Amino acid sequence: MKLKLWGTRGSIPSPGPETIRYGGNTSCVGVTLSDGSLLALDAGTGIRSLGLALAAEPTRLHILLTHLHLDHIQGLVFFAPAFRTQTEIVIWGPSSPEASLRDRIARYISAPLSPVEVRELPCDVSFRHCPESEWEIGPARIRAASVAHRGPTLGYRIDDAGCSLAYIPDHEPALGADIETLEEDWISGFALARDASLLIHDGQYSDAEYPEHIGWGHSSLSHALSFARRTAAQRTILFHHDPLHSDERLDQLGEEAQERWAAMGGARGTVELGFEGSEYELPLRSPAPAAT
Amino acid sequence: MSQRPLELILARNLMSALSTPAFLVDEGGVLVFYNKAAGVLLGKRFEELGTVGPDEWGSLFGPFDERGEPIPYDKLPLVIAVRNGRPAHADFEIRSADGARHTVEASAFPILTAHGSRGAIAIFWPTSSNGTGG
Repeated sequence: MKLKLWGTRGSIPSPGPETIRYGGNTSCVGVTLSDGSLLALDAGTGIRSLGLALAAEPTRLHILLTHLHLDHIQGLVFFAPAFRTQTEIVIWGPSSPEASLRDRIARYISAPLSPVEVRELPCDVSFRHCPESEWEIGPARIRAASVAHRGPTLGYRIDDAGCSLAYIPDHEPALGADIETLEEDWISGFALARDASLLIHDGQYSDAEYPEHIGWGHSSLSHALSFARRTAAQRTILFHHDPLHSDERLDQLGEEAQERWAAMGGARGTVELGFEGSEYELPLRSPAPAAT
Repeated sequence: MSQRPLELILARNLMSALSTPAFLVDEGGVLVFYNKAAGVLLGKRFEELGTVGPDEWGSLFGPFDERGEPIPYDKLPLVIAVRNGRPAHADFEIRSADGARHTVEASAFPILTAHGSRGAIAIFWPTSSNGTGG
């Protein structure tokens, strides 16, 4: 399994000279399974670059949406393969009692927010609610589960060729709970991340910022590290960077994360901040160098 | 150990922050949590008790009707909520571990999701206490 981070930012695209290293595009991770099948985890503005990188030839891919906040779907109408007739796209996402996945996404891909309607997309696109049980895409087993965020939100686990990727970019597992002491089965998202080869997890706020954002659906640095430690993920990428965090600030948070991870007994270099454009291959062979 | 559904996790987190006695059962009727206020009422903390099966937890505290007769399990609001998927309310008397009797109003409501029932929550509102029993 190979993956590339096409967008690591949370909330709103944050381009500019102060965010050029960690990136300003919102959530999107491209995944190539062991048989070459393509997945996109979320469709934030980062998916635009993913689309441009795909060759203009018949393509079938699956887009797994964690939820429908704009920073996770904004790139859909700028995803070049969606405008090719030879492309087949399956969009997976959370169910909701108010409307189907298609109808909820169509609120964005419709006037006045979009120049095109869902029905006008040239590609063959279908929408599927994620089942409660595991399902298969190519050689991979996919599991989706609701996690603590605002509104219907999923985390994903992808198992392929003996490796596992857990993707929980928007997550507040410590809302009203102490995840250091809580029983494992009572921690939101625990089963998705348990012993994962790689965990991509929300790390939006510093500990100092979190008290002003309780209930907003995101993790503090401490909560993200505690979640990673409790789930025994082998490697963790902190993701969904706050739009107010410059490269310089993220460097500081990265150093703090590594120091605190080491103090918690974690292996050096197994926690890092996600950079837009970073590529990984599972199984991971050695810890990446620290963010500098 | 399987992962608890998110709806139960969030319910437990909310209940943990309440000073109103509250009880949580899963979709099978197993008592999976009650908060500290409920523990004070029952005279026993949840951590001392652990999860309790659906046929057992009623006997933890009675309950009894106004004549002192045990109330059948399937008449309890929490059981109605989890089995029938609708809210239920009742007044009854309970006995705590130290023998004290309390009259409570109990309201229960189901936790329903797009994937079906996850369980139910009951809130107890003590209306009177009658001291320690024999």
